[in-house]
Amino acid sequence: MKAWRQPGFWLPVLFILVWGLYVLIVRQDSTREQAFTLLMFVGLASSLNILLGYTGYVSFGHIVFFGLGGYSGFYFLSAHNLPLMLSAILGGVVSAVLAGLIGLAVLRLRGAYFALATIGVNEAARAFVSNFEPFGGATGLFVNYSVYEGFGGPGPALWRTFIYLWITVLIIVVVSYAIKNSRFGLGLLAIREDEDAAMVMGVQAPRAKTVAFMFSAFFPGLIGTLYFFKNGNVEPGDAFSLHMSIEMLVMVMLGGMGTVFGPVIGAVAYQGLRGFLLTNPLFKNLHLAIAGVFLLLIVLFVPAGAIGWLRERSLKLRKVLE
Amino acid sequence: MKGKVTVMAALVAVFCLFMVGAVQAQAPAAKNVVIGFTASQTGKLNVEGMRQINGLNLWMERVNAAGGVKLADGSAVKFSSKFYDDESNKGRVQELYTKLINDDKANFLVSPYSSGLTDAAAVIAQQNNRIMITAGAASDSTYKKGFTLVFQTYTPASRYLTGAVDILAKLNPKAKKIAIVHEKDKFSTDVVNDLKKYAEGKGYQIVLFEGYDPGTTDFAPFINKFPADVDAIMGGGHFADTSTFAKQLHEKGIKPTVVALLVAPPEPKFAELGEAAVGIIGASQWEPAAKYAPEVAKAKNLEWFGPTVAEFVEAYKKKYNEEPSYHSAGGFVAGLLIEKAIATAGSIDTEKVKAALDAMDIMTFYGHIKFDTSPAAHGLQVGHDMIYIQWQKDPKGALVKEVVWPEEAKTKDVIPMPKKK
Repeated sequence: MKAWRQPGFWLPVLFILVWGLYVLIVRQDSTREQAFTLLMFVGLASSLNILLGYTGYVSFGHIVFFGLGGYSGFYFLSAHNLPLMLSAILGGVVSAVLAGLIGLAVLRLRGAYFALATIGVNEAARAFVSNFEPFGGATGLFVNYSVYEGFGGPGPALWRTFIYLWITVLIIVVVSYAIKNSRFGLGLLAIREDEDAAMVMGVQAPRAKTVAFMFSAFFPGLIGTLYFFKNGNVEPGDAFSLHMSIEMLVMVMLGGMGTVFGPVIGAVAYQGLRGFLLTNPLFKNLHLAIAGVFLLLIVLFVPAGAIGWLRERSLKLRKVLE
Repeated sequence: MKGKVTVMAALVAVFCLFMVGAVQAQAPAAKNVVIGFTASQTGKLNVEGMRQINGLNLWMERVNAAGGVKLADGSAVKFSSKFYDDESNKGRVQELYTKLINDDKANFLVSPYSSGLTDAAAVIAQQNNRIMITAGAASDSTYKKGFTLVFQTYTPASRYLTGAVDILAKLNPKAKKIAIVHEKDKFSTDVVNDLKKYAEGKGYQIVLFEGYDPGTTDFAPFINKFPADVDAIMGGGHFADTSTFAKQLHEKGIKPTVVALLVAPPEPKFAELGEAAVGIIGASQWEPAAKYAPEVAKAKNLEWFGPTVAEFVEAYKKKYNEEPSYHSAGGFVAGLLIEKAIATAGSIDTEKVKAALDAMDIMTFYGHIKFDTSPAAHGLQVGHDMIYIQWQKDPKGALVKEVVWPEEAKTKDVIPMPKKK
């Protein structure tokens, strides 16, 4: 219980809680939209961190869980008229089950081989969905605009989706902290340092890795459903974007791998910067180049990420930042 | 007496001045209408996106130079634009459109280029009670989702390639077999699904109906499946894959009566394929050789609005030093429709402008414009028709892009695919 009183826990939770409350109090559409984009990436980066940060396994194709889970949730929503949050949870369950099955096969691979296999899984999922008629094949799925009327119109529907996402991200951060500070999490960290030694010490590495993989896949599936519902449609190209998958890795590394607060900060900083450059009159034609240079500098000079760098700087901060 | 006259004259002068001032004060100030949109400045759709912006900017320059649009209260509105790069990516489209409406105070919206991005943006337009004119976004499904403020400029995907079947019937009335090979993306799949229905409805046999992944470079597996007696090959996707497909068809000596492909053939760059381009038919939303004119409008009992084809082409070439493509024309006409609707409504109020768009039935340099107003497919373009071009050789042997269909717009007769020597 003591762990829950640590600043390492309540600092990221408080950050997201206050942020969401601020958006709800201000009640402006543009603030909500900006916060939705940022929170979505905070959720995705924090989910990936459960695998990447705690076990050290680099998943290049993690977006597959966002895509397939999102597709499944959207299918339950559009074809079977299930409520939004139930569809989203079912989308997450599909992602987690899929991760369990994939994990049994590919988590036996290590290093570059595992990374390559995850890219393969993403491409295979895209090809499967493009030919799977219940998911609309290449043209994807869409919901009729009248679906939003059930929420009292598109405005209330978008606000409700934002609140669901906000709560989901809060849960992700809590789960991420709980895993890190549990016996199970200790096993994962041991795998990250030396998998063979961890197994000798009694860590059941294959099972632990698979469970971590399932946790890190559940939430992207849930977020995917909320995101596609908000857009009103889903297509294979948007659902399995390798570019987005790599962005998730960058955000985790930027904030600090294996920390709870790191992916939150990394996602807010990276996507915040991209959003600023994209809409700033001075930089809007050069945004991709500037974001690229910025990232290069971070990777060169702060390889441990923002939180990692701060933790290395002082003992006091190490106690505060998790 | 003289003093009284002077005082009276002074009073009259002051009164006149006051009246002039009052009249001036009563004259409504010129309004500025902001057109907001996102465009694909970067990403896979950047060529199409940039041409669309060029077209829209040219329209804005023209309408502002003419003093803007007069409203019912006697004031005039002028136009300015605000746009952001959507990177051809859906990720931020809703965020950017919300910003355009709330922060940049956009009064009217133009859609992003692709159907997927437009679907996401339309939710925001509808939420904020803003009219959105779509340029690009050809998929029919966008207009069948229940939106009431989204209006399409392009001929929808369902009628994109159906003219090629009519061309086949004209060239070879005995033709029976059509093979369809297409890119597996939303737009191309929508087009060929309706093409298949249309062809089967006309009694044709679809002997092959297969999709290929975006980015495919080897079409041999599909080409090897074509029966020797296939009468037509139709489909394709976007520029790169469709060009490669056309090239490989030529290399393998596959020369049915008709080869009709999507997107790539109308682009001037397609001529770089040389012999492989000869005889290829392409569907285009608009061509500089299009024969839409005030006389044609009169004959069809339609109102003509905006510049003539020649005026548009000349102005575009002068400003951008290149031939306008249908994407450029699409950008221009999106603005032109907003201009016409505001002029008809005499107001910039969403409800009044929407009513003007619903009732619109006009001809412009871009062709006939009329929207479906039924709840099932509100905003779907029902007036505009595709133009079919074919690459042919002129007497000197140079490749020339000719308009071959519909009959009333053609610059040359359509020819069967020349057999390989």
